[in-house]
Amino acid sequence: MIEVERLTKRFGSTLAVDDLSFTVAPGMVTGFLGPNGAGKSTTMRAILGLVHPSAGHTSVLGVPYRDLDRPTQRVGALLETFDAHPGRSGRNHLRVLAVAGGIPRSRVEDVLALVDMAGAGRRRVKSYSLGMRQRLGLAAALLGDPEVLVLDEPANGLDPQGIRWLRDFLRSLATEGRAILISSHVLSEVAQTVDDVVIIHRGRLVRHVAMGDVEAMAAGATTVRSPDAERLASLLAEANLDVTASGDGRLSVMAPPEQIGELAAANAVVLHELRAERATLEEVFLELTGEPGERGT
Amino acid sequence: MTRLLAAEALKLRTLRSTWGFGLVAVLLAGLVTAGSIGGAGQQDRLEAEFQFQLVLDAAFPAAILALLMGMILVTNEFRHGTIARTLLAVPRRARFVGIKLLTGAATGAALMLVTLVAVASTAVIWLGLIDVPLELGDGLHGAGRAFVGVALAGLLGAAIGGAVHSQVGSLVGTLVWIFVAEPICWALLGLLDLDGVASYLPAAALGGVVDSSGEGLPFAGSVGMTLAWAVVAAALALVRTGRRDIT
Repeated sequence: MIEVERLTKRFGSTLAVDDLSFTVAPGMVTGFLGPNGAGKSTTMRAILGLVHPSAGHTSVLGVPYRDLDRPTQRVGALLETFDAHPGRSGRNHLRVLAVAGGIPRSRVEDVLALVDMAGAGRRRVKSYSLGMRQRLGLAAALLGDPEVLVLDEPANGLDPQGIRWLRDFLRSLATEGRAILISSHVLSEVAQTVDDVVIIHRGRLVRHVAMGDVEAMAAGATTVRSPDAERLASLLAEANLDVTASGDGRLSVMAPPEQIGELAAANAVVLHELRAERATLEEVFLELTGEPGERGT
Repeated sequence: MTRLLAAEALKLRTLRSTWGFGLVAVLLAGLVTAGSIGGAGQQDRLEAEFQFQLVLDAAFPAAILALLMGMILVTNEFRHGTIARTLLAVPRRARFVGIKLLTGAATGAALMLVTLVAVASTAVIWLGLIDVPLELGDGLHGAGRAFVGVALAGLLGAAIGGAVHSQVGSLVGTLVWIFVAEPICWALLGLLDLDGVASYLPAAALGGVVDSSGEGLPFAGSVGMTLAWAVVAAALALVRTGRRDIT
């Protein structure tokens, strides 16, 4: 549904996107992750025909965005920069978009209600808070009931309730078979929403993996503490497990906690602590992107 | 195309500044018409060309307003970042420029319509009070010429806005050109005995469309020259807007 193929974009001497390729399949929510300045917004704008690629190409629903007939009925977009005239009311902003996109005007009221903005539709946009502006942007993206959604940092400015609503809503849209690309620079923000993640850094693809694989990457050693640490260590070593003693009765074992617990129970070894050491998703993210940060303790 | 033009019209209708421009056009037209009638002698008022001239006198400020509005309707998109949303609906840049040019021309025509209403209202009342008979034919002749001129001004303004993108740059640059740079050019050309060339410059050409003094190019020539300048600006707008990355 969305295809990015060997996309490169230069702004003068700055290489914003470097030979980037990935696809977003229908029925999937794909997270597009990278630190600030990684090239996410540039890539999304290239997908939407707003930025001209220096090399490579992008397509949506099999064709370049510019070749789509009535594109706002096929693709909904939320861009990071706010794109409504401050002197126009939120409702009129959406009406303009509806007329331009050939979308029935009744959809304006529908989407305003959907994003919980029906009461603020008559107010001029310049009086909106950041969260309201974000909701208006989401309403604009959803106006054409599109098959594809490209959302740049959609959770920005939303309160926790709004983020939860957005998460559930995007999941429900994906269940209907729509393709959704959602960018963020915070992995944990989208972890519960996305099916897979495209991670980029300095314009280059770092990894395109299923979210489950990212979570697996977060798994690490297990810490176990026992009054009979020496005996436990030898039992674990006999089971060919890599064991490191820390000197305070704690052992660090490269194995899942279930395996260690079962082994201790089978040999009647008392345990005072059994804890999986997991890196946080952000630590995995930082490790993948080569940013400074230490993997879990 | 129709829906995109309708969207542009809705954009204009839903901004206070548009109504502000309309109000200024009405006030200026009323003032200019009152000044023209009040400043003329009774004999002048009875002359055949007087009512034709009345309409064209009011058309000049309307043309300046249309020029500014044409620029604003394009540069507002860049100033407020609405260009991204607009291009999502109209991804082909040439089409976007074309729609803006048509909107500029239509805006000019609309501005001339309110100007004409103000001129007619003022003239009908005042000339009626001083027993000057209304010459519909003269008025309509002037109105037709004024509509062409002010619509061309809107078109030219939109083309300049599309070529420059910066709102301040296009507005200030255009006003400086009209009121400072081009008069200097006229003076320099006069020193070189090239007065005729001055009529081909953009402001002189546009002025020639809505000016009844008979100086400069004839009406058809002025229209043609203004269109030529609009085509040059539109070509620049196509190149500039077509190449620009919306970041």
